[in-house]
Amino acid sequence: MKLSKKRVRHTKGMDITPMIDIVFLLLIFFITVSQVSETNREKLELPNLKGAKDQKKTSLVVNINKAGEIVVAGNPLQLADVAFLVSNELQSNGGDPSLVTVVVRIDQNATCETPNALVKQLASQGISKVRLAVQVPN
Amino acid sequence: MKLSSHKRAHKRQITLEMTSMIDVVFLLLIFFIVTASFTKTERDLDAVTKVNEKSSAASETDLEPAIVLLANVDGSWVYQIGTNNLTTFAELEEVLNQFPNKEDGAFVRAPDAAPYGMAAAAIQACKNAEFPGVSYVPLTPQ
Repeated sequence: MKLSKKRVRHTKGMDITPMIDIVFLLLIFFITVSQVSETNREKLELPNLKGAKDQKKTSLVVNINKAGEIVVAGNPLQLADVAFLVSNELQSNGGDPSLVTVVVRIDQNATCETPNALVKQLASQGISKVRLAVQVPN
Repeated sequence: MKLSSHKRAHKRQITLEMTSMIDVVFLLLIFFIVTASFTKTERDLDAVTKVNEKSSAASETDLEPAIVLLANVDGSWVYQIGTNNLTTFAELEEVLNQFPNKEDGAFVRAPDAAPYGMAAAAIQACKNAEFPGVSYVPLTPQ
């Protein structure tokens, strides 16, 4: 037996449009700020100094950790490997050392032994200007 | 003339099923919130490296250029300017600010065993004292 002829649909659903707006906004924010591509920057304790210049586009980022190991793009390298990378950068810039920007990120607890060897190597390849990364204190 | 009945038009309402989309969006949101790491702002200290610098004799004036040497005195590292041993960054900054000859730039000489944090601080102090050029001189035993 059919009791009612017409089934009245009571669809009093919650309006979720503003919630979706906010969720998408948050999603886009976190996608934008998350640094997935920054794999060439190791987690180091940089010197807490105000620095002299803002960071610009760099050709090569060399990390030196507390133990004095050289790390480039997540790979531990020897000084000779860095020299090879620098010569590749020089070749791709037409052999002009002024066009190659090398940023050296050194842990503040490291000794000057590896940095000294690195700057000597860079100087022998014509790169006499190095950029030393510092962390701006809050 | 009525082309379509009201009943027919009412039935054509399309409802979009958004439950699965919201599930995925929430999952992505939680993933990015959990994995996000906010890094501190980095800046650069630009220094010219002088590898074969034996002495600072290349001065253009009669005054000596500023040479900050990192030296180990009685087991602790100090900033040495001439015969003055300076232990803190503030002291070094003060001495460099009062330095008479700034035209020839400043030299930071760092032996291999010196802590890098002090070498960076010395370069920063020279930059703060408005020396036109700051050179980093690695001191490696021959």
